[in-house]
Amino acid sequence: MSKVIAPVAERTVAFTVNGKSVEVTVPVRKTLADALREDLGLTGTHLGCEHGVCGACTILLDGQAVRSCLLLAVQADGHDLKTVEGLADGDRLHPIQEAFWEAHGLQCGFCTPGFLMTICEFLADNPSPTEDEIREGIAGNLCRCTGYLNIIKAVQIAAAKLRS
Amino acid sequence: MKPAPFDYAAPETIEETLALLGEYGADAKLLAGGQSLMPLLNMRLARPSVLIDLNRVSALDYMRVSDGEVRIGALTRQRAAERSPVVAKHLPLMTDALRWVGHAQIRNRGTIGGSLAHADPSAELPAVAAALGATFVVAGQGGMRLLLPEEFFVGYLTTAIAPAEVLTEIRFPKMAADAGCAFVEVARRHGDFALVGAAAVVHRAGPPEPGGAEASAGRFRDVRLVFTGVGPTPVRVREAEAALEGQKFEERLLADVARLVAGRLDPESDIQASAEYRKHVAGVLARRALLAAALRAGPQQAGGHSTGGFPKGGRPT
Amino acid sequence: MGTARARGLPGVEAVFTASELPTRPIEPAFGGDGYHSTGWAALAHERVRFVGDPVAVVAARDRYVAEDAADLVEVEYEPQPAVASVEAARRTNAPHVHATVPGNVYFSRDHVHGEVEKIFADARIVVSGTFRHQRLAGAPMEGRGTAAEWDPRGRLTVWASTQTPHSLKSGLARFLDLPESAVRVIVPDIGGGFGPKMHLYPEDVVTAAVARALGRPVKWIEDRRENLVTMTQAREQVIEASLAVAKDGRILALRADVACDSGAYSVFPLTAVLEPMGTVQIMPGPYRVPAYAYTTRAVATNKCPAGAYRGVGMTVGVFVMERLIDKAAAAVGLDPAEIRRRNFIAGDEFPYTAPSGLIYDSGRFADTLAAALAAFDYPDARREQARRRAEGRMMGIGMSTFVEYTGMGSKTFARRGMLEQRGYDSATVKVDMTGTARVSVSCPSQGQGHETAFAQLAAGELGLDPAAVVVVQTDTDVVPEGSGTFASRAVVAGGGALMQAAAQIKTKAVAIAAHLLEASPGDVAVADGRFFVRGSPERALTWMEVARVAHAPGPAGLPGGIEPGLEASSTYDPPPAAFGNGAHVAMVELDRETGQVKILRYVIAEDCGPMLNPLIVEGQTHGGLAQGLGEALHEEVMYDDAGQLLTATFMDYLIPTAMEMPLLRHVQTVHLETPSPNTIRGFKGMGESATIGSPACVANAVSDALGRAVDTLPMTPGRIVEWIRPQTRAAEVKA
Repeated sequence: MSKVIAPVAERTVAFTVNGKSVEVTVPVRKTLADALREDLGLTGTHLGCEHGVCGACTILLDGQAVRSCLLLAVQADGHDLKTVEGLADGDRLHPIQEAFWEAHGLQCGFCTPGFLMTICEFLADNPSPTEDEIREGIAGNLCRCTGYLNIIKAVQIAAAKLRS
Repeated sequence: MKPAPFDYAAPETIEETLALLGEYGADAKLLAGGQSLMPLLNMRLARPSVLIDLNRVSALDYMRVSDGEVRIGALTRQRAAERSPVVAKHLPLMTDALRWVGHAQIRNRGTIGGSLAHADPSAELPAVAAALGATFVVAGQGGMRLLLPEEFFVGYLTTAIAPAEVLTEIRFPKMAADAGCAFVEVARRHGDFALVGAAAVVHRAGPPEPGGAEASAGRFRDVRLVFTGVGPTPVRVREAEAALEGQKFEERLLADVARLVAGRLDPESDIQASAEYRKHVAGVLARRALLAAALRAGPQQAGGHSTGGFPKGGRPT
Repeated sequence: MGTARARGLPGVEAVFTASELPTRPIEPAFGGDGYHSTGWAALAHERVRFVGDPVAVVAARDRYVAEDAADLVEVEYEPQPAVASVEAARRTNAPHVHATVPGNVYFSRDHVHGEVEKIFADARIVVSGTFRHQRLAGAPMEGRGTAAEWDPRGRLTVWASTQTPHSLKSGLARFLDLPESAVRVIVPDIGGGFGPKMHLYPEDVVTAAVARALGRPVKWIEDRRENLVTMTQAREQVIEASLAVAKDGRILALRADVACDSGAYSVFPLTAVLEPMGTVQIMPGPYRVPAYAYTTRAVATNKCPAGAYRGVGMTVGVFVMERLIDKAAAAVGLDPAEIRRRNFIAGDEFPYTAPSGLIYDSGRFADTLAAALAAFDYPDARREQARRRAEGRMMGIGMSTFVEYTGMGSKTFARRGMLEQRGYDSATVKVDMTGTARVSVSCPSQGQGHETAFAQLAAGELGLDPAAVVVVQTDTDVVPEGSGTFASRAVVAGGGALMQAAAQIKTKAVAIAAHLLEASPGDVAVADGRFFVRGSPERALTWMEVARVAHAPGPAGLPGGIEPGLEASSTYDPPPAAFGNGAHVAMVELDRETGQVKILRYVIAEDCGPMLNPLIVEGQTHGGLAQGLGEALHEEVMYDDAGQLLTATFMDYLIPTAMEMPLLRHVQTVHLETPSPNTIRGFKGMGESATIGSPACVANAVSDALGRAVDTLPMTPGRIVEWIRPQTRAAEVKA
């Protein structure tokens, strides 16, 4: 019979974020979203609902779009994370960011980081999506400002940019 | 919305998991995909004193074909199952249902076992498991138990998993190559929990008979019809299944079955939909699911669809 | 109440209840008859009036600990009978929400214009309905947030996610017993406003008071549950209305009885009068309505207070009127477009005094509708509808035509009795020595692109490259008094003030440039960053050269009387209102078995006057449409009869996703530009426009699809199935 692991209240975990190795010591109940924002100062990841519906907290975990409000910081141990801060290259916007700018795909911008990260994975999986596929692909992210139409256009523009 | 305090353990083997459950089971919760549990923790609706994180028990993440079964480890991500050619080939009902489960971000983390163990009355996978007659493998320190769906799903958000046990594997009998299946759902918005969902599996008896478009191209054999969203657990309507057994594939028959289903079910009302609406829609979805399943049933033609059966067309999409 | 356990938790700084944190109750002033005032204690003393009414505050090192401590605060409640609907609140012997509000009616107003009673008595054709509009939540993606810090001399600085920084400043000063000059409000980036962020909340007062008590900066960031429970809600109204028409479809008279469910308190600054008056004032719409009578009231209930939300009463008034017009069309056998055409106010009738008392300044209503119908290819759409109906499909076509008031000035707020609302806005422009302009306007942005729009205005006026203009978010220490961003006013009022301020700087800079170029000011123009003499463009100076002289005149000196520097502030009080208008047309299909609605096509023609930035206008139109579709089909705040909120998460309150919008190619917008004769550059506002017109349009389309009047929102699948049911039964009986 296995020795019983002792549950802990705090842990030090190490992972990479946007290519950089980091280590944080956090209470185990702290969500990954909060750790990114508070311990790592990466406030581009936003909290819109904290119950997994709005998608404003979306980041990439090992390349997959996930809701960081539904992950504990300690679960990131050993994983490779990407947040919105990792998209631009200095002053050079990522093609998806450029596309959002060109299409007026953001207004208040609060939901935008979540959309950008969702779209990163979406276009990696499906480089030539139809409009129906785009709508379904972004259906897990809520926006209250844009009415989505320009976001869909932004995805189409981004897809073209990434293909070329 | 921050979780109440808890202690955390991340076992790496099933044995370690069971040891933890043995020690803390009554006050512990198991964390799999977290897509259902984390909202409850964030809203403080669940307040375990210990959270056991299963995500490092890699031994629980697999999909294997063995004998006549597809065995899926409880930690298998829904997204992986959605894309699995093995699942598409042998369990197309699951593939069909998974596209209704939340959104891509949810399926990236959500697990097959987690959804089944959470047993939300409006979730899709419990209905799939019930329709496919899955066997649930539940492990405890005393050994393994095998449970059928009707034994596994006990009540509202309640399964037969004991506090010191963990669901490790779900065994799905392979669907017959000529079975037809469909999962259809009505939800308020795309990706929401089902108001009502219907899973239908249909087998064909006998070869297609010659005749015009409406001529019988087969008879129903061994039908499974299971609903989600109409009761605390998945609801299998055996009367409907029996009414179809041996009958010709015919539109009028399906309309009768729809009425039978609506009459038989006893759902609850909630803020999203009334009981009346759920009953009515269950009848509608019974018809649509059975129609779609029947159209796909039969000896596999090129493209995998039967050419016999119902004329095309129907409701607007 | 017991707070000892909470206080004892490690990481907790303090726990306060009402007696430990004295502040004045929040009470907006109202000038007019028929209003009963209420005060809203920032922390409840003895009585809570809705689920979410604050009773205590925990200050801790982080939110995790604060929530742990909040769990430990012990409160004993003595349940009182509650009223959770207008009907319940208005029953005789209903329990009182406030002792000072008799009959649970905060406000009521009657109005009669023309011989309404007689016309209805004589009229042969009268259509009517009982219209029910659901309660909505604004639900911006970013919730509310307030941070407060006091300096050692007792000056308060507040950073707040607010649409109305000056109003917040005034309110905080009053309720914290401070002179206004002791309060500064700075607006950071805001993640959406939509109306609810224009109110002053108990949490704002409490956050500041806690910061004062602790002598440390304090911030409050709400979570989504707090947002859905306590951010102001909107639009829950029951309206009985009738329209009398002649045989040829001409409107003879309109009457309406409006009851708004205003919740547990009258909010600051606009009061509970906002929706009741907004609904009835806009109801006559773009039509000639010879006689009009209304009774309108704000009813107190034990629910979250109601406040502003995109469209406000206009959306509901338009819903009622457009449904009545469609009913009238059916009654007289006219096409819905034709009956509207016969009743539109004509383009040459402006300024037009409507029977509501509003004076419409401009518009070409018939042209707007014509543009929408042309883009929709209306005759072809009706043929397509006939074809699909023959196939057994439930297709509906609906439209709405409407006016909206925008950019309202002080006279309007004064007339409405909204004494807390100044009605004017201000701007400050500073051009520095490098010729870069820094602009601040009293209308902050919540996503409407003010950084771009105001930069365009300033750059245009000053002859600068827009890239040389920086627009900073509002800081009440920098820009003079204003009203803020709401009710579609920012470009009209804030932009107007900005153009005035920029014009002052331009005049001064031109004088300096003329002096340097040895020309007369009338001969000097400025464009593309240069001042030049007309006709001799080689005689020119860059903005930087002129700016440098303005700031450091040097031996050349400045022309007599001109002060050094390039800074100007200006305040602009717009006219009472600038009226925009719109026409929406939609085609929908209903799944007759499940009641789900699909929007097949949606056309919007809108006239918001000159478009400063068409891209921003388009974005606002899409966003407004999405909210309107949510209002028509999906969203509803629900309470049970005891006042318990049932929709406290995003799983329960359903805001639309991308999948609920029509496909890109199925949404078209057409723009007309009829300037206001009264505003600077003829600008009008438009931020609320698409939300105002869309619920009515979709309701008309669904009614058309069902062949049955639909006067209730939202049109959920469950309701639609019920509305179809009698027809199904009839069909079954026949078969």
